[in-house]
Amino acid sequence: MRPYRGVFWTALLLSPINQTFALVQPYLLKVGIDRYIRRGDAGGLRGLGLVFAAAIVGELVSSYGQQYLTMVVAQRSLGDLRGALFAHLQRLPMRFFDTTPVGKLVSRVTTDVDVLNEMFAAGAMTIVLDGLKLAGIVGFMLWINWRLALVSLALLPAMAVGVDYFRRAARRTYREIRERVARINGYLQEAISGIKVIALSAREDAAFVEFRRLNADHRDANHLSNKLEATLFSLVESVSTVSIALMLWQGGRLRARGLVEIGTVVAFIQYIQQFFVPIRDFSAKYAVVQSSMTAAERIFALLDVPAAPVPARPRVPDAVRGAIAFEGVWFAYRDAEWVLRDVSFRIAPGERVAIVGATGSGKTTLVKLLGRLYDVQRGRILVDGVDVREWDPVALRRRIAVVLQDVFLFSGPVADNIHLGRTDIPPAAVAAAARHVNADGFIRRLGGYEAQVRERGSNLSGGQRQLLAFARALAHDPAILVLDEATSSVDPETEWLVQDALTKLLAGRTALVIAHRLSTIEGADRILVVHKGELREQGTHRELLARGGIYARLYRMQYAPAARATARAAGEG
Amino acid sequence: MSRLWGYLAHYRARYLGGILCLIGATTLTMAVPWLYKRAVDQITAGAGMAALLRTLGLIAGIAAVQGVVRTFSRFVIFNVGRDIEYDLRNDLFAHLERLPLAFYQQRQTGDLMSRLVNDVSAVRMLLGPGILNFINTPVYYVYGLAIMLSIDARLTLAALAIYPVALGVVKRTSALLMERSVRVQEGLADLSTRVQENLSGMHVVKSYAAEEQEIAAFGRVNARFQEQSLRLARVRGFIGPVMNVVGGVGALVVLWYGGRQVVAGRLSIGDLVAFIGYLHLLSWPTMALGWMLSVLQRGRAALGRLDELFAVEPAITSPPGATGIMPLRGEVAFRGVDFRYPGLAGGSPVLAGVDLTIAAGSTVAIVGRTGAGKSALVELVPRLFDAEAGRVLLDGHDVRTLPLGWLRRHVGLVPQEPFLFSRSLRENVAFALDGGADGRAAGRVEWAVGMAGLASDLADMPAGLETLVGERGVTLSGGQKQRATLARVLAAAPRVLLLDDALSSVDAATEREILERLRGFFRERTTVLVAHRITTVKEADLIVVLDEGRVVEVGDHETLLARGGTYAELFREQALEVELEAI
Repeated sequence: MRPYRGVFWTALLLSPINQTFALVQPYLLKVGIDRYIRRGDAGGLRGLGLVFAAAIVGELVSSYGQQYLTMVVAQRSLGDLRGALFAHLQRLPMRFFDTTPVGKLVSRVTTDVDVLNEMFAAGAMTIVLDGLKLAGIVGFMLWINWRLALVSLALLPAMAVGVDYFRRAARRTYREIRERVARINGYLQEAISGIKVIALSAREDAAFVEFRRLNADHRDANHLSNKLEATLFSLVESVSTVSIALMLWQGGRLRARGLVEIGTVVAFIQYIQQFFVPIRDFSAKYAVVQSSMTAAERIFALLDVPAAPVPARPRVPDAVRGAIAFEGVWFAYRDAEWVLRDVSFRIAPGERVAIVGATGSGKTTLVKLLGRLYDVQRGRILVDGVDVREWDPVALRRRIAVVLQDVFLFSGPVADNIHLGRTDIPPAAVAAAARHVNADGFIRRLGGYEAQVRERGSNLSGGQRQLLAFARALAHDPAILVLDEATSSVDPETEWLVQDALTKLLAGRTALVIAHRLSTIEGADRILVVHKGELREQGTHRELLARGGIYARLYRMQYAPAARATARAAGEG
Repeated sequence: MSRLWGYLAHYRARYLGGILCLIGATTLTMAVPWLYKRAVDQITAGAGMAALLRTLGLIAGIAAVQGVVRTFSRFVIFNVGRDIEYDLRNDLFAHLERLPLAFYQQRQTGDLMSRLVNDVSAVRMLLGPGILNFINTPVYYVYGLAIMLSIDARLTLAALAIYPVALGVVKRTSALLMERSVRVQEGLADLSTRVQENLSGMHVVKSYAAEEQEIAAFGRVNARFQEQSLRLARVRGFIGPVMNVVGGVGALVVLWYGGRQVVAGRLSIGDLVAFIGYLHLLSWPTMALGWMLSVLQRGRAALGRLDELFAVEPAITSPPGATGIMPLRGEVAFRGVDFRYPGLAGGSPVLAGVDLTIAAGSTVAIVGRTGAGKSALVELVPRLFDAEAGRVLLDGHDVRTLPLGWLRRHVGLVPQEPFLFSRSLRENVAFALDGGADGRAAGRVEWAVGMAGLASDLADMPAGLETLVGERGVTLSGGQKQRATLARVLAAAPRVLLLDDALSSVDAATEREILERLRGFFRERTTVLVAHRITTVKEADLIVVLDEGRVVEVGDHETLLARGGTYAELFREQALEVELEAI
């Protein structure tokens, strides 16, 4: 909000001006009645009418200006808050995203911030301004005729007690409603995701009974709040009317003693009516303020989550070589459930290394650690001789490109999915990268580089998604390429394109490949065998086969049957 | 819309009562400015306190009665809105529960939630505040116009001259408001999508150090959203001031034109007061017109979306008058079964011409590679899906002729993906039992937990069986979830037990241990084990090998091994896996 202080104060200053314009109108009415009408001076009304018209225009301009400026401050500040939240999320460690549902975070950035907007539009700000308004009206009334004013406001203390009672009751009820809504939503969410279990257990009736109970609780709480609100609304209306009656009674008495003019009595009817409007609307505003407080708490709790650690003096080694070293690395996603145990190896620049292991052996974790998506608990990982924790994170990740098995594509133009928003990758480089990895054919068929990729790349085939990911990696021209090869088979033609692209992509780089294809392991300079989180064997395909250990078994289990199946398919085709 | 009348008819007595009270309260309200007029005239004329007090007493009396009647009318009408919301939501939930699994596979949870929550609320807004204003506005106008015209027709016309203009402005602004609200909603949706995608693809963002670019891209969407919101604010901020102007101009006309009439002796000061009072009362309903239009539009759109849901036919239901089989032996048979997952029309069949008989009381294992159709085969028995062609028989009866609830109580399927509700472990295990987690069921629950090998895990949980699990509770490991899911089905002790690779996340040794313990339990019923590990299936009475939706081999372990087919191949691969596990 700080950068918009100027606008904010302007909005706040416009408020008394606006109120003055509004409050002066009944006074002009009084003047008109007492000074002109009662004295039969119809001509004088013309001048007064012009002043009145000016007050109307003044009110229109100032109140619109005030509302609009308030909204400017609100929108700008909330836009900034949203931006800050998003930027904060970008800096949180990967671990955070493993344990927090995406949906929850999305609603922090969108719905919760929007609720705060409502607070600006209809809540806290207006409650403050309403307070000023009430004070203004009371002041005006006292100034015009204090004898009349005091009687007019005689019911105010009783009213204050009533409103305060309402506020207490409402606070409890509104909280209950919010809790019950959350419970209904939670139940629905779970019933829908667990519908299979409900059906299989034939518990539809029981689930319905439970839901009906939650639904009834919610309804009852709302019935109560309806009662409270209806009572407050009508009470305020009635008190307002009775206050006017009291004022008229006092007006009659004062008039008999010549202490008040009739125009004042007429003006006071207006003032009393104006006075009770903000009080009547209080309940709705109060509900908004309450729910926005909760939203604000949730937003600030998210902002308090510590960002991923950044080195104090980030290092960027000049020489781009692509050397990798794991030294005694231990790692666990959840404490003490070790996924990697004491893993050490070195990869020379330009070397092509395949990682092999059974499902769950820890291969994927190895590649995640390299780009420092997670920090190791023990040991260290060096890239070009520098611990990844000391690297400048951006520079480190620019030196390494990761292509995961499950290719993630963003909705938007094809080109954006290749350059990922980097302005230093010109369109020509994007096209060249795509051409080089055989992706240009399908991109052209799709409608070129500006053609839209749908959410999660649903309008592309598995092979096409692979090729696009290759183009992405190539365009970023990394020294180190990390690849989790896809297991899913693609059609033979695309398969050939993928294989060819892969060869081109790996050329001249340090490559770390989680291999699923026989050709990949056979073409590797060295194979690392990971088993139960430990590095158990390494060597070339021939050496390892000859050794007859884990690799030999893995080979027979994973690669040999696949090779046989391919051979069979080829034979049939 | 027609669905709505049914609900309204149910509450018609209260609703009509509420509306009558509302009209009564409004009538009383409309009498008040006229009494102000009388009081002001009495004060002006110096008519004496007695007459004035009578008028004021009347005002206070009306205020009191009016307050009570209005309170009553408001909460009756709003409560009926809440009641109908309650009924509608119940009916929708009950309807959804009857829809088959295939429906849920094609719908997003978020979309269904939004209909159950937001759309039902929009209908409630239509029926509560919407109707209230719908009734109130014409009543205000009728009374207001009648009284004002009776005092002075020309002044009425003059004072209301601005109303057509105001109505035009309101109408135009409402249209703009709607249009810009839609834009803002769309902007918000863009924003959500952007954040959603960014977070889902966080590993890509981080791997390519694309954070700054993402922040910049979000900044652009955010700025666009801000602009849209401000465009909306420009219109929204207009309505209040314009309505104030309407009120002000009314007062100005009364003062200026009416004032001349007073000077000319045709009107009294009190008449001016009455006019100002009625104009004041009319300004709110006029302002509410635009708002009402949007409530109406939103409510109708929501009703349309709800109707669309209600129109989905429950495809898998109990046939009327069906009875269960007594006593149930538990023979399961497939006769020429073809199956394809619904919604994937044109896809290759998941099961094709499956003929298979599983004898009552036997233990049968189904093996095959991923995608061979093993899950589909067992899912057809409790009718999670219906076969496309052919029949699935239970003791010779087509499952489609049996009562659905009865069928599912007697056929227990432990699905591949475990699912637990956010409640205590006990409630989860007792989920399928009548009487929930009460005393009688307690023994069953403890027995099932023990059988499923969860007993030792309980010791590590903060409150044993009462530990809250799931999203809001303790996070269980995949293996623990699977065992709890198994316990849930075991507790119900169905006659036919189907385990769909139900222990895949449990390590081999624990799995063996659990199956060993369950051997006696299996023997008392028909058991089908879809399994991944050959060691699990070796001892089954019969092993069925599926490949690409067809039964390719049937026999016991020794026979199949000797045949040297798919089973033998699978066995060799898995023997290696066992060896590896041991290294």
